[in-house]
Amino acid sequence: MTKMVGSSVKRKEDARLLTGNGNFADDITLPGMLHASVVRSSSAHAKIKSIKVEEALNHPGVVAVYTGKDLEGKIGPIPTSWYVPGCNLKEPPQYPLAIDHVRYVGDGVALVIAEDRYTVKDAAELIEVEYEDLPAVVNQKEAMEEGAPLLHEDIENNIALNWKAGEIPEGIMENAEVVVKESFYVQRVFPSPLETRAAIGQYNPGSGELTLWCSSQNPHIHRMVLSEVLGISEAKFQVIAPDMGGGFGGKIGVYPDEALIGYAARDLERPVKWIEERSEHYVAANAGRDEYIDVELAGKKDGTLEAIRVKNTANLGAYLSTMGAGVSTIDFGMMVTGSYDIPYAESETFGVYTNTTPTDAYRGAGKPESTYQIERIIDLFAREIKMDPVELRRKNFIKKEAFPYQNAHGLVYDSGDYEKPLNKALEAINYEELRREQEKKRKEGKLIGIGFSTYVEMCGFGPSEVVGAVGFQGGTWENSTVRVHPSGKVTVFCGTSPHGQGHDTTFSQVVADKLGIPIEDIEFVFSDTKSVSMGWGTYGSRSTAVGGAAVSFASDRVVEKAKKIAAHELEVSENDIEFENGKFQVKGVPGKERTFQDIAHSANMAWNLPEGMEPSLEAQYFFKPENFVFPFGTHVAVVEIDKDTGEIDLQRYVSVDDVGTVINPLTAEGQVHGGIAQGVGQALWEGAVYNKNGQLVSGTLMDYTLPKARFFPHIESDFTETPSPVNPLGAKGVGEVGTTASIACAMNAVVDALSVYGITDLEMPLTPEKIWKTVQEKEGNQ
Amino acid sequence: MTVEKKRVSVTANGQACSAEVEPRKLLVHYLRDDLGLTGTHVGCDTSQCGACSVMVDGDVVKSCTMLAVQADHSEITTVEGLGTAAELHPMQQSFWEEHGLQCGYCTPGVMIAAIGLLKENPNPTEEEIREGLEGVICRCTGYQFIVSAVQKAATRIQETGVNLNSQRLVGEGTQND
Amino acid sequence: MQNNEALKNALPGCQKFEEVEENVYDSELGINIGPVKGVFTAKVSQVDIKEMDSYRLLVEGQGKPGKFNGDAAMELVEDGDDTTLQCSADVEVTGVLAAAGQRVMNGVAKVIMGQFFKDIEKEAKKIASL
Repeated sequence: MTKMVGSSVKRKEDARLLTGNGNFADDITLPGMLHASVVRSSSAHAKIKSIKVEEALNHPGVVAVYTGKDLEGKIGPIPTSWYVPGCNLKEPPQYPLAIDHVRYVGDGVALVIAEDRYTVKDAAELIEVEYEDLPAVVNQKEAMEEGAPLLHEDIENNIALNWKAGEIPEGIMENAEVVVKESFYVQRVFPSPLETRAAIGQYNPGSGELTLWCSSQNPHIHRMVLSEVLGISEAKFQVIAPDMGGGFGGKIGVYPDEALIGYAARDLERPVKWIEERSEHYVAANAGRDEYIDVELAGKKDGTLEAIRVKNTANLGAYLSTMGAGVSTIDFGMMVTGSYDIPYAESETFGVYTNTTPTDAYRGAGKPESTYQIERIIDLFAREIKMDPVELRRKNFIKKEAFPYQNAHGLVYDSGDYEKPLNKALEAINYEELRREQEKKRKEGKLIGIGFSTYVEMCGFGPSEVVGAVGFQGGTWENSTVRVHPSGKVTVFCGTSPHGQGHDTTFSQVVADKLGIPIEDIEFVFSDTKSVSMGWGTYGSRSTAVGGAAVSFASDRVVEKAKKIAAHELEVSENDIEFENGKFQVKGVPGKERTFQDIAHSANMAWNLPEGMEPSLEAQYFFKPENFVFPFGTHVAVVEIDKDTGEIDLQRYVSVDDVGTVINPLTAEGQVHGGIAQGVGQALWEGAVYNKNGQLVSGTLMDYTLPKARFFPHIESDFTETPSPVNPLGAKGVGEVGTTASIACAMNAVVDALSVYGITDLEMPLTPEKIWKTVQEKEGNQ
Repeated sequence: MTVEKKRVSVTANGQACSAEVEPRKLLVHYLRDDLGLTGTHVGCDTSQCGACSVMVDGDVVKSCTMLAVQADHSEITTVEGLGTAAELHPMQQSFWEEHGLQCGYCTPGVMIAAIGLLKENPNPTEEEIREGLEGVICRCTGYQFIVSAVQKAATRIQETGVNLNSQRLVGEGTQND
Repeated sequence: MQNNEALKNALPGCQKFEEVEENVYDSELGINIGPVKGVFTAKVSQVDIKEMDSYRLLVEGQGKPGKFNGDAAMELVEDGDDTTLQCSADVEVTGVLAAAGQRVMNGVAKVIMGQFFKDIEKEAKKIASL
């Protein structure tokens, strides 16, 4: 039997998705179902003077209208799930609907429920809210200044948190031969899953059970948090994530809207469906990034790096989102030294409230920003000491022999061989030749740039003790149950919650190898809190490294028990049995065997089991990893800039990632491509823009540039494999590496192209207009 | 609202269908909510994403930009009209083999748009495919495997002689023209 | 141009235009252009008035789709035998008006302004022919 792990198995989940048989939230219709619409604040900061609901209530087909006042005392505020310690964190209450004070455009002010989706929109337009505008502040640096408008009365200077880690001993920075400083802005972007958010609530007044279908990356977290908000027992509350049109971090958060739908379904005793509109999504769903990062990198003239000091001023938006406090602190700050052996590091973060939509995790969550600062500043350091950026990187790489390696902030990187992907990437682009070519073209007046990103990231959340110590309100271990039916067919349950990653397939590959059965005999159940034991969902590139590992362990347990039954039936000692290709075989006696299916039947019938053994064949495993996992790699981008139009031609993009053992090269490559598209998207095209009054002016897909097919060249991607010792699969995470690496990579290429003008930084996104203006100005000055 | 409803009758994936709808109802909602063809999705509200692309009388149309009443008496093909899980359309087969989908939300619209592209240009280059998919957005794949899927589908369609103009696109050859 | 009745007739969809104090008016504008639809109540004030020459028109409007604040400088410029009305305006909008983006808003603003100038011309001719 060919080994499944490591082969490009076509996805099991595709048949339904390709034929229109997916089951996305909006595809669900329930008897008597109502439709909901949330009326949202059009003002960035205001007191609500009055809300007139009569006209809407009298509109034919309208069933109910709720305002914040109506819900006061009935439904609790939505709490954050990440209480980062030691940073004086201030969490203001976020009510499901604003009661008398709105703090961002998109803040919910009323919920309208009607018989159909058109009527509810009509009625929502009839709600009249009178606002008394207050001064608004959208930029986090301005929000921290004395005299800035305050969002929450008792939160001084709008500062939500001030977090610090590490200390550089006195004299190191001051006496360094070279110190390179730069300030970067990693702009606000939208995760933009193609399916917006959605929730459908259904309440059974007889049993008191509430079911919530919710486009969530972590239905168990939704159940845990919302059961408290709604005051319902977790045992009577089922959360199901149906098929989802992507998440990218935007659907981790537990949102007010989801609480409202659960509440309304229970209150009205009828199913209620809410499907977010795209323009609503951009004001109401959590955004990503929005961090000002000041970096100082110190070292010697020979390129030895000695210390790094980083300050991040992060825009948290108007309230603290589910993971809001952790992204710019733990996720960002602990990894500031990147893939380099830099002995000293100091990280500081200010998290600031502003009159904008809250920010939360977006693909990579803090790690793309951290990678951005180190990969950008190391290029500038190389330029300063006139060293090739590749040579400087190589010189400071954590050496292969140093693993497990403890970084300056105490994180222990599990395994690594950073030269391997670097060498492979250099070979792929023929580096030396490429630099010669660049020199030649520069002499012809052309703007050619080569950018690198030799990143490492922390993922696979995570070791419970560590996660608890940094304040996350979750266990982040994972569970799996392997249930073997009498026929030998298998249903596997797992607490991760895939939404496009293809875990049905990759996890089935693991089970197929373990149990020696065809992949078609395996079905997975995810994303349903009633079927699946407590689990923690899909984010932080944790699913394979933690969930997949649990699946592997649970499969081992099944084999262990089956082996005992086989030995009993074959009347030999367990030690005489070997299990291979789905057969329990007595060693050295060909033909004396039992198939996996035979044992499945025996176990379930229980007519003749070893003494004292429980019937059936089912095993569960709760896997608590001892550490995070740390994938790494090298990305290279080659760009040419058109001086006349400012357009950036991304000519080549090469990625060599090491995500540990690759379970399925095809889907792993798909993850890398998608990640790169989002990272390059941030560098070149995407950006959320607020005007000074807090109005989002990039609030539709006409104004927010999601990359299209023609924006990209053929991405050349490859892998190296350095297994992780943290889990039995040797797997690290692959979901976020593309994004983590590529923002800095694309940016470095453009800055390299423009280095002929002495340019060290530009603000993303690098629109043609921005590039053109820069080039014109510089050409004019020359 | 006391607006008089209009009867809209279409041939959807080869089947005669009919429903009374408000004149303002979008074609995509008619297909999804009235005809139960939920394979076609809505990804935006400004006609950018193309997730709702369907064929109306052989042309690719974003069904969120068209009123149901405008589609009265037309022939419509949605993803449900391509192939079945047992017998996939060459476009579906190629998307499967080349991993041209991840979350699968944009996929129905992208495949319809790609079929429209191949009708115009049966043998496109990579660049032509990238240009030709201007009307659709995928947030998951970075497009690369979508492009290879469309390339593969082009070859396969030419080899098998599947008629892209037929109403139900699989297994009927030219007989439905 | 500073004639109230003329202004009322020229403001598109103007359903009410009442002077509440000197040079300050309460008005209701019904706007229905593409996605921007609804009745806006607006306070219109004329400031910096230079009779027969120029003034600034401040409009603070509020409706269900959002708010708008306009500041338009109107100036009559003699140009030989003709008189040209020059107008430069700053408009701040909120809610759907802002989120729908500049493309839509510019279009709406152009339509409204275009209509306003057409109507004011009509009104001017009407007054001239009296």
